[in-house]
Amino acid sequence: MTDPFRKILKPIASVRLTVWLLALSIFLVFAGTWAQIDMGIWSTLKTYFRSFFVMIPLQIFLPRDWNVPGAIPYPGGFVIGGLLMVNLLAAHATRFKFSKARTGILLIHLGLILLLLGEVTTAMLANEANMTIDEGQTVNFTEDIRTVELAVIDPSDPESDRVVVIPARILEKGGLIQDRRLPFEIQVEAYYKNAHLLDRKNVPSNVVMADRGTAVQFAVGAVSRPEASGVKQNQSNMPVAMVSVLDRGQKVGTWMTALYFSLIDQPEFERVEVGGETYWMTLRHKRNYKSYAMKLIDFRHDRYIGTNTPKNYSSQIQLVDPAHNENREALIYMNNPLRYRGETFYQASFKSGDTGTILQVVRNPGWLLPYIACTVGAIGMLLHFGLSLSKFLKKRTAR
Amino acid sequence: MTEATKPSGGKPWLPIVILVLGILYLGSAFRPQSNGTEFDLVGFGRLPVIDQGRVKPLDTYARTSLMVLSNKQTLFMGEGVATSERKHPEGLEKTAAINWLLDVVTRPEQARQYTMMRVDHPDILGLLGVQEERQYFSIAEMVENAEVLGAQFDMVQQTATSEMTGYQRQVLKLSNGFSLYVSLEGLMGWLVVPPSDGSENWLTLQAASHAGHDHASGDHTTPAGTFEYDYQVALRSAFDAYALNDPTRFNAAVASCTSLLETTGYPTLGKHSFESYFNHVAPFVRTMALYVLVFVLAAFSWLGMSRPLARAALWVLILAVIMHTFGLTARTWVQGRPPVTNLYSSAIFVGWGASLLGMFLERMFRSGIGAATAASMGFLTLLVAHHLSLSGDTMTMMQAVLDTNFWLATHVTVITLGYSATYLAGFLGIIFILRGVLTKSVSFDEGKNLSRMIYGIVAFATLFSFVGTILGGIWADQSWGRFWGWDPKENGALLIVLWNALVLHARWGGLVRQRGIASLAVAGNIITSWSWFGTNMLGVGLHAYGFIDSAVFWMAVFVTSQLAIIGIGSLPMRFWRSPVFEKPRREATTV
Repeated sequence: MTDPFRKILKPIASVRLTVWLLALSIFLVFAGTWAQIDMGIWSTLKTYFRSFFVMIPLQIFLPRDWNVPGAIPYPGGFVIGGLLMVNLLAAHATRFKFSKARTGILLIHLGLILLLLGEVTTAMLANEANMTIDEGQTVNFTEDIRTVELAVIDPSDPESDRVVVIPARILEKGGLIQDRRLPFEIQVEAYYKNAHLLDRKNVPSNVVMADRGTAVQFAVGAVSRPEASGVKQNQSNMPVAMVSVLDRGQKVGTWMTALYFSLIDQPEFERVEVGGETYWMTLRHKRNYKSYAMKLIDFRHDRYIGTNTPKNYSSQIQLVDPAHNENREALIYMNNPLRYRGETFYQASFKSGDTGTILQVVRNPGWLLPYIACTVGAIGMLLHFGLSLSKFLKKRTAR
Repeated sequence: MTEATKPSGGKPWLPIVILVLGILYLGSAFRPQSNGTEFDLVGFGRLPVIDQGRVKPLDTYARTSLMVLSNKQTLFMGEGVATSERKHPEGLEKTAAINWLLDVVTRPEQARQYTMMRVDHPDILGLLGVQEERQYFSIAEMVENAEVLGAQFDMVQQTATSEMTGYQRQVLKLSNGFSLYVSLEGLMGWLVVPPSDGSENWLTLQAASHAGHDHASGDHTTPAGTFEYDYQVALRSAFDAYALNDPTRFNAAVASCTSLLETTGYPTLGKHSFESYFNHVAPFVRTMALYVLVFVLAAFSWLGMSRPLARAALWVLILAVIMHTFGLTARTWVQGRPPVTNLYSSAIFVGWGASLLGMFLERMFRSGIGAATAASMGFLTLLVAHHLSLSGDTMTMMQAVLDTNFWLATHVTVITLGYSATYLAGFLGIIFILRGVLTKSVSFDEGKNLSRMIYGIVAFATLFSFVGTILGGIWADQSWGRFWGWDPKENGALLIVLWNALVLHARWGGLVRQRGIASLAVAGNIITSWSWFGTNMLGVGLHAYGFIDSAVFWMAVFVTSQLAIIGIGSLPMRFWRSPVFEKPRREATTV
């Protein structure tokens, strides 16, 4: 290595920088934990950890009724993690020489690099979805419970429905949606990431109301509310889209499409009549159709004697994949997932009354990385600290 | 020359005397259980009951119930009266909870007059119209105020726990206590009759008494002459005999219950006997007392008579660790689980890990420092555990996700040892700073030794918290399909790893020296406490109310105290009374 090169690397490789970066990352993790009181875990992840820059509101560290304005501009997880990686690599390039005593440190740092890479791979490539199956039902799609889509269904073909879906990000933008695949135009009047359904009488007058469909039938309206918190695990966002249907520019009516309506036991669809044809609309979790299907044969929910505390959940399922000649039964239970074609199925939850199961379906191509990383890192630590300890003990006995 | 190296061979008998006293004190805990009355309460207390999904001896059930209601495991009883009030009328004797439970079940009218419901909140006392200074009330008094209290109970039932004020939490606690009491009175309606076939079909007295002529109604029928029927008859007879104050019949009934259990091969009777004995020994109470003694001995060893006092401190510490280990192992065996299953057991384990590490430090350095830190850590964590135990049974069953011995044994114990080590380093830091600033007792060499100890323990802490956190990630990957989810508990663990890494790098880079590393280690206490308890407070956990209000308060006190110590540690060197920073000029003396 040439000297000017070293000169440039030296400040980047300094331990002082490492310490500062560690301190920065500690505060980021700390803030990202407090933020979860108000923010969903997924939003926190995107704002704090998988981001380049974040404004940390002072409010998150204080009681919520104090109302303190102001925020600290702060580097996000990608920046701090990236700098740590650069710092580490630079340190190895300039300072460290390979020696037996250094092997431990080298392995620890290699483990850390792999861990960071694993997290980046997960951030980029992994996706999580849910699969909800009632007992006896067969399901061939997964649902992304973090996002919704507005499905417009044309049931005119008796063989199969024609479905056009509008993703949440388009609904969020608002405005007029025109597409030749849609049988009509849709004007988004309002979109709430998390909404509270309430009696029509109690809806403030300046809020858009539906004049057709389920909302009218049930006499409910919707108002926006803060996103669900990550700390309270059983809460999730309940989006609502207020949409007007236009038939060649002519307003047909305004519907309230709500995720809530698609989740109740007998899901409600919005019936739209345009040009003599009947269509259905529904705001539902984003679906992803699969080549295989799963049938729930039996769901079991064992409890501790004399209580309602769950002891174990398990789902006996039948996996059918004609394209790959698979047809078999499998038992999925706590800490015992099913791995199939790059996806892993976990027992995540169940429907009330134990009538169905909710599986978490995860695809993470980098899932093996952390395992390798921690093996390498742990060996490194044992080696390094073991060596130091034995050296220390030898010194003491020699004295 | 420092005091530690002063020849002080005098009084070699002192540590031996202290050790013998310690052994006697410990040994006395293992005295056999006694009834205290003519009734065979010990035998009765071993009989099983199902509560919160766990089969436990009635003795435990009685103790934990009384604990929830009055914060104590015993009360003062006399003829027809009982109270938890420390200032009680003469003639009342300290009595075991099982006695009280029997009164509650068999003499409900009388037991409702016992003053044992603890009420602390001034506003609730106001509701009850109490002006004099008292803490304990009877159920009868509560019932007199049924209208006022009932309205409050209804209102808290409609409030989400996360939205509750301190007053509302106390009302909820009282309301829960009240329901607990009602369910105690109905103990006969509980699952108290074990199945003879090894299944999980426990029966109530009522169900077990249905003789064989009712086959059509289902499988919960028991023909006369079967185990279930006979056991039910014997147990009822015990209750009746107690109500009629007939010890002979009571003891006979208890004996026949026991022999019925033995002859059917009821598998856990031995375990119940042991658990009841374990409750009686109360090992952690004795351990706490020993830790206090260790700390006092170690602290005095810094003032004079260093050698014998430090030696005594180490010996008593070994005794305390033995007792602590006994308590931990006994719980593990009774529960059939790895040692850490809930917050309570984590407190026990953190203290155990720290005092074990401290014991080794003391053996290596023999300066009283390892002993003092071990003792203060052990004492404080057991104190925390005691307060956690006020909310009920400490061997609760686990939620389904946690129900895996493999991960509990690996991830949870390793990460908890990481907490132990991080705290231990922090407590060594406290000793370094406080002794260094306030006393003249830390020499340059001793300061160097102390900071070396801190460094070693931080390295140990890094290893354990890193491996523990990673194991947690693997568990999460196995059960939810994600290695890392950035949720509060995971972040808490990560913070400890990052902090320890920061301390090590700061030292390697020469950014901090002796007192710097001490101050950083003290800050580690704050981070560990936040990860251990703070993350639970964020969401106001499901099982945490009641405890959580005071926990937030004590957390704030602890954090403030640690910041104050760091502040003291940052005082300019001229304020330090100990010569920690002055290298002694050895050459000068030889010239």
